[in-house]
Amino acid sequence: MAFLAGARCSKGSSTLSIRDATPAFTATGADAVLRIEGLVKRFGARTVLDGIDLEVAPGQVVVIVGPSGTGKSTLLRCINGLENIHGGRILFEGRPVLAHSKEVITVRRHIGMIFQSFKLYPHLSAFRNVTLAPMKVLGEPRTVVEERARSLFRKVRLEHRAHAYPSQLSGGEQQRVAIARALAMNPSLLMFDEPTSALDPETVGDVLVVMEDLAREGRTMLVVTHEMGFARHVGSRMIFMDEGRIVEDAAPKDLLDRPRNPRTQQFLSSILHG
Amino acid sequence: MSPVVAEYWGVLGKGLMTTLWISWLALILGGLIGAIVGTARTSPWRAVRLCALVYTELFRSIPPLLLFFGGFFGLKYMTGIDLSPFTAATLALTVVASSFMSEVIRAGLMSVGRGQWDAALSAGMRTRQVLRYIVWPQAIRVMLPPSVGVYIATLKDSSLASVIGYVELTKAGLLIRETTGVSFEVFLIVAALYFVINYGISCGGAVLERKFHFVH
Repeated sequence: MAFLAGARCSKGSSTLSIRDATPAFTATGADAVLRIEGLVKRFGARTVLDGIDLEVAPGQVVVIVGPSGTGKSTLLRCINGLENIHGGRILFEGRPVLAHSKEVITVRRHIGMIFQSFKLYPHLSAFRNVTLAPMKVLGEPRTVVEERARSLFRKVRLEHRAHAYPSQLSGGEQQRVAIARALAMNPSLLMFDEPTSALDPETVGDVLVVMEDLAREGRTMLVVTHEMGFARHVGSRMIFMDEGRIVEDAAPKDLLDRPRNPRTQQFLSSILHG
Repeated sequence: MSPVVAEYWGVLGKGLMTTLWISWLALILGGLIGAIVGTARTSPWRAVRLCALVYTELFRSIPPLLLFFGGFFGLKYMTGIDLSPFTAATLALTVVASSFMSEVIRAGLMSVGRGQWDAALSAGMRTRQVLRYIVWPQAIRVMLPPSVGVYIATLKDSSLASVIGYVELTKAGLLIRETTGVSFEVFLIVAALYFVINYGISCGGAVLERKFHFVH
């Protein structure tokens, strides 16, 4: 985490972004949606996350890239308390996140999670996938939830598929239902764990378009992805992770065009030219 | 039809009803206990898992016949508790059915992948809600066919209650034979009745299976 040069992140670099590239370093203290300090996570003897410090301000779209096995997915799972942690702390909207605590449920209600493999509930229609948690977890009335679900299906451009079952949907459609399911809880943070990695190339675009719409609305998003085009044009900030550490944290254009760390350079050249 | 069977039709009918009643009772009680034990087998706590494992392994390893004797004579010998043939038979059938059901239920619960838990927990559901809305509805589909097998086995095992003098279908047949001396026809009818009932259960199970089958 040597990269602290706020001045590098000039406004001029944001012409290709859909919004002003919010410099990474403006998320300070109380107004941060998410604040992670010295996070350590181990699986057995292996340290997967080795001292992660990260702050995410409201409205930021933070894109996380890095070689596989560097703890990107684990980081997301720690943030919503699916994994217990071995050091440091995670504060979501000022509340500490601790797996297996009573409070973790409150945190999860405010974080929408989108998985690589969709993980829709196969025994429920797409529509019921979206309405279940708001009704059962938030206790909202059916009519309110169903009205919101209908508008969400329009938003993800699937109003004609709302009553299909997950197995009747293509991967891209399933992932858009999964996004609608996450949005139905009105989350203040959306986390995407390689949302397009399991998709056929021709459906990747449908999902990315929806994600771009969400970014444009000003949603706070944490996106683990290998889609460099999305990172460049939609991301307000980009993080390169390697071996459980944040190696570089910068505006996407800077990180992609002028990576400072040799490992970032090596990674980017391997995926862009490999 | 043999006049003997015609004369004792009422006795056989009563025995049949008793068989249906006691095996149904054992299936319900065994299903409930099996659900608890089967869920305990998937518990995050090792001690809970171990207790459940001991229960399952113990009662499915002992021949049902010995459990009938144990419930009726053994319990009285050891503790002085004198159970009626009905209670002892229900108890024995229930522990057998629940030990098999716990395995069926454990397998069903485990057939629902970790990913479903992740998705449901991420939406803020509590463990209880994940089980109720996500895991059980999917697991039931997997549990149904082997449950039908357990029910059929329980119904057949209930014939062992005859050894402690409980008059169900088999014992009714034995009593008719003692009274009339007619063996073959009586047992043929008894066997046919078991077949018809169990085949009916099998068909009922198939109907339920279709009902619970979601597009997959």
